[in-house]
Amino acid sequence: MITLIQALLNGLSLGSIYALIALGYTMVYGIAKMLNFAHGDVIMVGAYAVITSVVQAKMPGVLGVVVSIAICALLGVTIEFLAYRPLRKAASLTVLITAIGVSYLLQNVAQLIYGTEQKAFPELFDSIPTLTLGEVSIEGSLLLTLGLTAVIMAALTLFINYTRVGKAMRAVSEDKEAAELMGISVNRTITVTFAIGSVLAAVASVFYGASYTYIRPTTGAMPGIKAFTAAVFGGIGSIPGAMLGGILLGVIEQMSKTYISTKWSDAIVFGVLVLVLVIKPTGLLGKKISEKV
Amino acid sequence: MLQVNNINVFYGKIHALKDVSLNVNQGEIVALIGANGAGKSTTLKTISGMLRSRTGDITFMDESISHIDPYKLISRGLAHVPEGRRVFLQMTVQENLEMGAYTCKDHTKEGLEDVYNRFPRLLHRKNQIAGTLSGGEQQMLAMGRALMGQPKLLMLDEPSMGLAPILVQFIFDMILELKSAGATILLVEQNAEMALKIADRAYVMESGRIVLSGTGEELANSDAIKKAYLGG
Repeated sequence: MITLIQALLNGLSLGSIYALIALGYTMVYGIAKMLNFAHGDVIMVGAYAVITSVVQAKMPGVLGVVVSIAICALLGVTIEFLAYRPLRKAASLTVLITAIGVSYLLQNVAQLIYGTEQKAFPELFDSIPTLTLGEVSIEGSLLLTLGLTAVIMAALTLFINYTRVGKAMRAVSEDKEAAELMGISVNRTITVTFAIGSVLAAVASVFYGASYTYIRPTTGAMPGIKAFTAAVFGGIGSIPGAMLGGILLGVIEQMSKTYISTKWSDAIVFGVLVLVLVIKPTGLLGKKISEKV
Repeated sequence: MLQVNNINVFYGKIHALKDVSLNVNQGEIVALIGANGAGKSTTLKTISGMLRSRTGDITFMDESISHIDPYKLISRGLAHVPEGRRVFLQMTVQENLEMGAYTCKDHTKEGLEDVYNRFPRLLHRKNQIAGTLSGGEQQMLAMGRALMGQPKLLMLDEPSMGLAPILVQFIFDMILELKSAGATILLVEQNAEMALKIADRAYVMESGRIVLSGTGEELANSDAIKKAYLGG
């Protein structure tokens, strides 16, 4: 029982990280109709930004996180502006290959700056006490991950549903031309989307770094691909879908590690994805979109 | 108010608009009629910047709009209700209308009152998702949404498409009502008979060219038009 609760909590925490990253994939897909495969590497950049500002520049941890968020937001917007905006009318395959190119570019630049050796991620959350309930002990960083992710998701949902910019994002995601006729700048909306997605990735990078403790230039690849899987799992383009998909994926992965096999956990995760897509091709919460002629 | 001078538009190698010129004066209803594929919608799309002309110029309120970003047109007073209505199907009626006032959000409250007055059916359905509306209601929503932006010129692309005759009559009555309230309207229609009845002036398009123009009455009585569009 204690093992189950512990595994469940760890799974939720891992799932929250996936969900934060998956939101970036799904929002960009929903609005710009592209798969931004460089999104995972933004996490890596965010983690290095924390290392540089906290370990090397000796900033306090909170400030380091703020720096990381700012750098990631800037990076996301710059990538969109330089790499994707010129391809707005290009074939989707061209954009996809460009995204993969940006991903390699980021990894290689990180390698030039930080080398191929892994770097230790600063222990930001060690001052938060561990919560002990009977025999279950919950690390402070885990609680913080769960709590903050819940707050971020609630805030994002409110933002998308009730603010003027959030509504404009939904309008652009549904019909770009009609949105422009309303006076909504599609380019600006896409920029905002990339900024939000990258901020979420930066937050995810802090939690990811805190739980995996070491960072290398290819760090972003695995959480990136898992989060993409989570977004597809939940129904790509759907924001609640990304949240649900991310959390389920984390829980399934952790449960497989605890009860079945650490080696097989990834295979099980992707197996479940295949199963879901066979039964419901649009993902758990995805909507069926009929192409209009 | 709106001058289109000599525009030529291509879809790849297809020459879709050939030397099209037209103008719309303040307070007029101008109809653009013609068969399927004649270039009517293409003309509207070029005016609102979704397509670009290789030649000529488009001016609105004495300023050139040929190279302006499409999203800036509504704040200059040019609204376009596209073919097929294009309401945001997954948003509520009220959210759709709010999007219409995106560039003038201070006007949202009065705008909503005005639109709900004109189209009481929308008021009853204001919290409904637009995808659940009937075709006629979606057309009302599309028109209402355009009116939210306080346009000086309203371009309507096939507002009667796919509607029952009683609704077509309602939409045309609404267009006349808007005119008497001071609006200027450029109307694209396949229903030539109805369009000519309410239009002050009209242009007839055929395979990318304007082949005839005149007052609504003149064209309605012209033999060529009768033969081609009004069934003899």
